[in-house]
Amino acid sequence: MTSALPQLSPAQRAVVDAPLQRKLWLEGIAGSGKTSSGIARMLHLLQQGVPAESILLFVPQRSLAQPYREALRDYPGYSGGQLAVHTLGSLSKDMVETFWFLIAERAGFAHPQDLPNFLSLEMVQYFMTRAIEKLVAQRDYFKSVRIDRARLYSQIVDNMNKAAMVGFPISEIGTRLQTALGGGVEQAHIYADAQACAMAFRQYCLRRNLLDFSLCVDLFAQQVLALPVARNTLRGRFQHLIADNVEEDNPAAHRFLMSLLPNCKSALLICDHDAGFRSFLGADPESAARLRQACDNQVALDGSFVMSEPIAALGVHLSAPLLGEAAAAETDFRPALIAEAHRYHPQMIDWVADEIGKLVFEKGIKPQEIAVLAPFMSDSLRFSLFESLRRRGLSARSHRPSRALRDEPAARTLLTLARLAHPGWGAAPVQFDLAFALTQTIAGLDLVRAKLLCDVLYRDDGLHPFSGITNASMQDRITFDIGKRYDQLRDWIMTYSQGEPIAALDIFFRRLYSEVLARRGFGFHADVNAGNISRNLVDSARGFRWSLDFLRRFDDDIDLARDYVQMVERGLIANFYLRDWIEEAEDSIYIAPAYTFLLSNRAVDAQFWLNISSEGWSSRLFQPLTHPHVLSQGWQSGAVWSEADEQELERQTLRRLVLALTRRCRQAVYLGYSELGESGYESRGLLLETLYTALRRSHAEGATPSPQTPPP
Amino acid sequence: MFQPRPRQAQVLQYRGGYMGVAAVPGSGKTATLCALAGQLLNNAPLQDGQEILIVTLVNSAVANFARQVSDFVKHEGFLPGWGYRVRTLHSLANEIVRSRATAARIDDEVNIVDDRESSAILATAVDSWMRRQPAAADAWLGRDFLEKPHYRSNHWRNTVIESARNFIKRAKDELLTPEHLAEQLADSRQELSLAQMCMDIYDDYERALAYRGALDFADLIRLALRALRDNPDYLAALQHKYPYILEDEAQDSSRSQEAILRLLVGQGGNWVRMGDPNQAIYETFTTADPKYLREFIRSARVERRELPNSGRSTASIQQLANHLIDWSLAHPLIRIRDRQPLSLPHILPTPAGDPQPNPPDDPAAILLCPDAMSAEREAHFVAANCARWLDDHPTDTAAILVPRNARGTEIVRVLRALGTPYVENLNSASSTRAVVGSLAYMLRYLADPKNAQRLGDVYRVWRRDDRDDSAAAAAVDALVKDLRRIKQVEDLVAPRLRDWLDDNLQGESQVGARDRLASFREQIASWMRAADMPIDQLVLSLAGDIFRDANDIATAHMIALHLAQLQKQQPHMRLPDFAEELYEIARNKRKFRAWGDEEARFDPDAHKGKVTVTTLHKAKGLEWDYVAIVSVNNYDFPSAEPRDKYIGEKWYIRDELNLPEEALAQLASLCHDLPYREGFASLDARIDYAAERLRLLYVGITRARKSLCISWNTGRRNSQSEATPLRALRAFWDAEMRQRAQK
Repeated sequence: MTSALPQLSPAQRAVVDAPLQRKLWLEGIAGSGKTSSGIARMLHLLQQGVPAESILLFVPQRSLAQPYREALRDYPGYSGGQLAVHTLGSLSKDMVETFWFLIAERAGFAHPQDLPNFLSLEMVQYFMTRAIEKLVAQRDYFKSVRIDRARLYSQIVDNMNKAAMVGFPISEIGTRLQTALGGGVEQAHIYADAQACAMAFRQYCLRRNLLDFSLCVDLFAQQVLALPVARNTLRGRFQHLIADNVEEDNPAAHRFLMSLLPNCKSALLICDHDAGFRSFLGADPESAARLRQACDNQVALDGSFVMSEPIAALGVHLSAPLLGEAAAAETDFRPALIAEAHRYHPQMIDWVADEIGKLVFEKGIKPQEIAVLAPFMSDSLRFSLFESLRRRGLSARSHRPSRALRDEPAARTLLTLARLAHPGWGAAPVQFDLAFALTQTIAGLDLVRAKLLCDVLYRDDGLHPFSGITNASMQDRITFDIGKRYDQLRDWIMTYSQGEPIAALDIFFRRLYSEVLARRGFGFHADVNAGNISRNLVDSARGFRWSLDFLRRFDDDIDLARDYVQMVERGLIANFYLRDWIEEAEDSIYIAPAYTFLLSNRAVDAQFWLNISSEGWSSRLFQPLTHPHVLSQGWQSGAVWSEADEQELERQTLRRLVLALTRRCRQAVYLGYSELGESGYESRGLLLETLYTALRRSHAEGATPSPQTPPP
Repeated sequence: MFQPRPRQAQVLQYRGGYMGVAAVPGSGKTATLCALAGQLLNNAPLQDGQEILIVTLVNSAVANFARQVSDFVKHEGFLPGWGYRVRTLHSLANEIVRSRATAARIDDEVNIVDDRESSAILATAVDSWMRRQPAAADAWLGRDFLEKPHYRSNHWRNTVIESARNFIKRAKDELLTPEHLAEQLADSRQELSLAQMCMDIYDDYERALAYRGALDFADLIRLALRALRDNPDYLAALQHKYPYILEDEAQDSSRSQEAILRLLVGQGGNWVRMGDPNQAIYETFTTADPKYLREFIRSARVERRELPNSGRSTASIQQLANHLIDWSLAHPLIRIRDRQPLSLPHILPTPAGDPQPNPPDDPAAILLCPDAMSAEREAHFVAANCARWLDDHPTDTAAILVPRNARGTEIVRVLRALGTPYVENLNSASSTRAVVGSLAYMLRYLADPKNAQRLGDVYRVWRRDDRDDSAAAAAVDALVKDLRRIKQVEDLVAPRLRDWLDDNLQGESQVGARDRLASFREQIASWMRAADMPIDQLVLSLAGDIFRDANDIATAHMIALHLAQLQKQQPHMRLPDFAEELYEIARNKRKFRAWGDEEARFDPDAHKGKVTVTTLHKAKGLEWDYVAIVSVNNYDFPSAEPRDKYIGEKWYIRDELNLPEEALAQLASLCHDLPYREGFASLDARIDYAAERLRLLYVGITRARKSLCISWNTGRRNSQSEATPLRALRAFWDAEMRQRAQK
């Protein structure tokens, strides 16, 4: 065993040192050491001479492979072979691409002799709009639905993805929803409309060799795996399997693992108890559990390396009312729970920042050991937190993976500068946007001076040089230091715009970023977040360009740059690329939506739960065209989704969430409560009710009613 | 400590079942209902997850209720406000709809459009319909107006909008979709062209809402009702959750609003409805109707209670209000009398020893003006009268109540000319406008951050809590002056080579100002960092820094939603455009209504020594020491007499038809399979309108604590006469005075 790993418990060691030919199922709660065991097992395999490329590390999302990658990078004995890390999506894509010419015709593609085009999620949204917008208008689809069109289309995509993951034909989507959810004639029309749109989109893709996630997974499962040559390839390539967080994966992934297992020499399948948070993405713990019996040995890790006893008791006390039970834990949970009630939301934010200040400055807790969590993290909440913490000398970072790129200042800055550099588009930025872009671009430039710069130097024919200011006192006000950098930026843009225009927006972004914005003295220099966003924009624009270049032979009304900029501005392009997880300043307080924190698979010393009265802690996202449970594998055909199901789901969702959060917390949970929420209205979600019940029960048992309240 | 009067104590004996309480103005409805909630909470422990639901009319009342109930509740545990939930009907409906969004066919990000936006959508639908049906006006315009393009394009359009608006509201209240109506129209053998017109517009309007992913206020109620009806299990869960429902201002419930509460109460549930049918004044604008409360109170299974005692007004003012009830019960026109515009009980003074005794009586403080005056002269007369009162009673409150906003603007102009201090509470509530104004100043500064004038404005907003402290306010004024004189704003807000604070505030006496401005600078820097957030998020962030009051925060949230919606529709809009939008609203140039109804937020006692100018509708729920009611003529307060003119009967429409009412009659005929006869609805509407205006007059009279002045004018064409009820009141009062003099 390598010394790079932490000390392992005997139970973990038994897993790691198990004979090479063994297929193991490992389960336990979060914090019980499962992933550490998985990593140790991987290193053990390598130590035993297993080539890295014969190990398949299978995860539901790529970020979950990160601890494995890091351990591999730090492992002294690693010879550099390529560990195969795959999600269902990436593996499907690889395999479909490899065996394309054997399956394309049978699958019904109109151009089987041509290569396929794999669509990212944002591209699917784009093509879905193109494919069905006219149809929706002509046929008067979705007339009684009050949803923004883009969101409506994304629910159709969601349905198709669920069908592929669960393994039923997309033609059954409408019937399934109608049977389970009912809702009368009008609702039946809506499901029929959703069904028709799904079919239309599938046809659109088949005619153009486009592969969205659902079609790709379908092809992989139905066509590729049916080819003996493909099965042999998989068998030859992946002799050892490590699959982590199988509970977060979908039934299609589970079916694939089930088919792979018999041919693997060794396997380690890791499953988290009380999880399955990605249900909106098809996570299905019940389906995962079927893999258990396909393994030679089943190992359960008890206990937690993370939770203190009061924290463990807190989890038990909070989950008990949700099961309709009395709590079994005898330990008093109140030392781990710190709460203060406020009337107004800003008072709560101040309290949170004060308490974090005390933790860091008085108790010596490291900032990165503190997580501030809320069901939703609006810009305003995030900003208020950042500002409150900043005023106390604390830095924070946040992660909101599916946020629209247009909402990111760095992305907007790049787009504004792109407009400026492409006068041929006839879409010069308005002065206001440019002033903001300049504050983002030139380090230390404030909004007042940026406005002055724009007032005097931005005209119809573009930017003028700083030396063009004839009024010396104006130059003095803006300062020469700023003027110098302004000129550098302007020169770059002028040189670019006067040269040969570059058709590829991604190349423009990349050059602007690396040649100017990331340099010392400019706004993106040493700004990790801006760097991430810029690179995400580059990747997204490049993906768009590739897809559209490919599509030009089918549709001639595509204007690459115009369509891309429109997509960003309509909020269709989201900031969800892997690197967000990696390149972030680590020594700061982590601010995120609760589920984002859970999927980052880490524990902290202290958690702050904000807006505890919000319904968002327990309610699922309501989407009238889709339903994660009715379209799941476990749903009984012909069953009806009832109010009792809805309520039970809400309780179970919250139960899993509070257990998962407490299992990722070492010392204390702080509850941020304000009678009036961010919007000035009062809400009463299930979490608040549950907390109250837990406290009342503990009071009835003879303890004092209040949790710890910090001194005034 | 609340000490219930004997009649209030009777209400507090409630233990369960249905109870209906008819309460007079100023009888302590809120206090009684809060005490009842507190008592129920203390005496009838609830199960886990159960709450008492208190439903009230306006958002501003919610916080008031919540605070008062909590005073009655013995606290257990650390969470305040536990065990009860106070909601307006709209916010309750919103909760229901959002928690069962799939049934309502919305998602989590559905927008609720405010009245203004809904009007804009409706206007677009009407324009589109008019383009399709250019000849439709021919059937309705009077002969003299058929060839006048202005009437065809503008006046006719306004009438169509008004008709369609009422039609759509009523259709939604009756849960009728355009598809239902289209089917019924196809089956109907009657000629119902107005219903056809409104149905076509309704269809377009609904499409436009659907495209925006939006709901209007009527949809909230409609969808909530549907969610409850279509989902019995969910309804049962809510019935369990709310074992008691206490309803305030029940006279303003519409049919569907009442239906929601009735469903939530369920068979054998516990429901207390409190209200004053005499104060039902929203029938014309909404689908509310006091008959629902009256019927409830009359029904056999309901325990009936009254709260007749009020300490608000002098005995003379109460006597006058009571006489209006008596007169209306014996109204000279039988059709109005049958409608029972006003009903008993009479207002009684508070019993001896009551903590809220009536003001000492002063019959001379009542002036019912007999003279025919022009509108201009009446405005001067009332303004002078009011100013005299305030001269004599500088710490008292005073209001001039007008039937319409336009009349209020005229009064304001006169007050301004006379130099009389006044507060205007017209198109938008002034508190709403104050919130909008504060945000507008901040956005305007961020849109042009080098502008010293605007920086001064923002400083004033930032120190808005100093307004009521004269010394602090003077200090703010002084600093605002200094800020406005700054030549180079960047030297203060983002100093690089020079720091304005170092150059200008060095002395020891200026330490305080320096510290304040240093904090202000930090705040400005923070707002500048926020300025590139999406507009709604920016507004919420700014609001979080400057507002503490719940209503202000709620209003700011509405503003944020409004601006987000605007941005969605007009993506080219930027911060300077949003700033101007808010600036226009703050200047009352553009209408903005916060969620539901915010008028009651106005606090008369915060404006002592000034004249409040507001509408009779907005005055509901408020009280002043001196009240003047103007324009009580037969146009604003008609009595269905031949001489009367009606605002709903447009001079350019043929045969004195009230087209919006005719459209509603066609809708009723369609839904209930009744014969439609042209003109009957217009005549009926006269009766309804006369009845509602009587209640409006009653509401106006009962706003006065010590002094009351009622006057009338002859209108723009010098053709209006004194309103019949005013004449009756005057006759009564003159006789009363003579009688008292003889005694």
